[in-house]
Amino acid sequence: MNAIGDTDQTTATPLAERRPILTARDLVKEFDVGGATLHAVNDVNFTIRQGEIVGMVGESGSGKSTIGRLVLSLLKQTSGDVTFDGENLASLSDKALRALRARMQIVFQDPWSALNPRMSVGRQIGEPLLLHTNLSRSERRQRVERLAERVRLPAKFLSRTPAELSGGQLQRVCIARAIATEPELVVLDEPTSSLDLSVRAGILELLAELRRELGVAMLFISHDLGTVKLISDRIIVLYLGTIVEEGPASLVFGAPAHPYTQALMSAHLPPNPRAPLKRHVLEGEVPSPINLPKGCRFASRCPVALPECSDSLPPLVATGEEDRRAACIRIADGGNRLNL
Amino acid sequence: MTLLAIDNLETDFVSRTLDDEIRVAHALNKVSFEVNRGEIVGLVGETGAGKSLTAQSVLGLLRAPARVVGGEAVFDGRDLLTLPPAEMNELRGYEIGLVVQNPRTSLDPLCRIGDQLVRMQRAHRPVNGRVARKKAVDMLAAVGIPEPERRMRAWPHELSGGMAQRVLMAMALINEPRLLIADEPTTGLDVTVQAAILDLLRQIVLERSMGALIITHDLGVVAHYCERVAVMFAGSIVEEGTVDAVFETPSHPYTRALLSATPERLKLGSGRQLGGPPPDLYNLPIGCHYRDRCERVRDICTTPPPATDLGEGHRVQCHFAKDLEGQPL
Repeated sequence: MNAIGDTDQTTATPLAERRPILTARDLVKEFDVGGATLHAVNDVNFTIRQGEIVGMVGESGSGKSTIGRLVLSLLKQTSGDVTFDGENLASLSDKALRALRARMQIVFQDPWSALNPRMSVGRQIGEPLLLHTNLSRSERRQRVERLAERVRLPAKFLSRTPAELSGGQLQRVCIARAIATEPELVVLDEPTSSLDLSVRAGILELLAELRRELGVAMLFISHDLGTVKLISDRIIVLYLGTIVEEGPASLVFGAPAHPYTQALMSAHLPPNPRAPLKRHVLEGEVPSPINLPKGCRFASRCPVALPECSDSLPPLVATGEEDRRAACIRIADGGNRLNL
Repeated sequence: MTLLAIDNLETDFVSRTLDDEIRVAHALNKVSFEVNRGEIVGLVGETGAGKSLTAQSVLGLLRAPARVVGGEAVFDGRDLLTLPPAEMNELRGYEIGLVVQNPRTSLDPLCRIGDQLVRMQRAHRPVNGRVARKKAVDMLAAVGIPEPERRMRAWPHELSGGMAQRVLMAMALINEPRLLIADEPTTGLDVTVQAAILDLLRQIVLERSMGALIITHDLGVVAHYCERVAVMFAGSIVEEGTVDAVFETPSHPYTRALLSATPERLKLGSGRQLGGPPPDLYNLPIGCHYRDRCERVRDICTTPPPATDLGEGHRVQCHFAKDLEGQPL
């Protein structure tokens, strides 16, 4: 293992050729809700490569956070597999899984509830080291100080409790704690949504730097399209627990293929009054995940849906451009374009 | 035509320490701006800048230790800040509608949606029950709620976030107010729902030639839905003007930092420091309140910055406003 900050991965292999660090195969998660079954995640397949930042977007209830927890085995899937660096998480013993957790970490949306209010932030940053390493107390303290420096948290804050820190500083604490054991994957679930714009900018800056210098892969879950576009290499778009489109960030944002992605992107408001808005406001509500539509999940709201869209679920297939996949039968006949 | 004119509004937090010392925080410092008929004004700034406090001060919703200590807020020829509580109650919810941030906590959980809308009307005027219900149904339809008749019988917990926010909008609009104040009306909503609600708001403002004040930290919302914008920092309006002027030629260093921090303009790896802690309201820096965070700070910044008028209502409180005007971010 390299010491923190000692490596620069910018000159490493291109992303597409790197080894997958995480693979989700046919991932399904169902919740039992008072006798009925809620289909939160439906047959989701994706890969995250070493050092890659994958942005996951979709609206509330699309299954983003559930997937984030499934890939870390914080939630047990109903069926399907999650493979981390060649190891199938479901086949591991509790002990082996616990050891593996040093290599995959998570940062939550709300740093206030993610930290223990009665423990100093320094001790909380050091906890993963206590659990996963044999470092002595003084070695841990040194390491915590270096981590604080790494996330630009002044050392004087380490002895303080969370209540004495601002939201941005607390999120830095959470990030320091997440990278303490030099993980290869960090899941970030809306890490900047509760922060002010300038504070958010600082956190994004930090994350980009950590990826560059530590080569850590990230699953960046957010509903903020601007942020996801800025930080991600690849984008996964979810609708009702199903991936509708996946591909390089520039392509998915620049020329979205799936009608839902197009509608989603068109609702984004760039902070520039001159930027033309080609809005397509979706009619109706998202169908209930308890009673999933039979065919394409988006067909009931899709302006270009054909009758056969409701017959069977369209497969996620390559669209021919770069490394993009989309699940829409209208891409083949060119009828997928919304009139924006 | 001016609907609401806030002039030199000052609000303090006054508290007493254990040693019986009186501590005063100047939470709002000479806040002035206007809302005209038929326009939406955006009020932006970071957490703690005083955006919500401005709305609460104007609407007489402050709670101790906050209190208005100066200025006026003239609506329809009357100063809201000195209005007796009974008259304020008459105006609030009737001529001035309010949409607050959290739809979940702003609806009465034990009262069906329809009853809440009827209650809202009857709080101000005696209305025949059938007429009030009819109006409630129409209003729900107007804010884009499908099957409004059925939704009248819904309980708040049965609504999704977007639907609850629409109901709040219906509540604020049902008495056909002339002014609407909306505090983060779309925060926490999905972008597609946000778009629908803002479209609706704009349509209503134009149709009824109302005025609206939107408090938000989303600069995208301001850029596309507001006519004018006021930028707040530490309880002061540091820049205001038309959305085009402020976004195209931002001339206060804080506005410029704010715009540079939006993901669309942010350049990762530039190493530029855009944020910083807000100043201590109990101990504001002398002179410009932004100077401790300002990239351009000079000695002169220890003196109060002048209000510089850059024309067409574009006003900036900075010693260097004229130098910064038109410079690239």
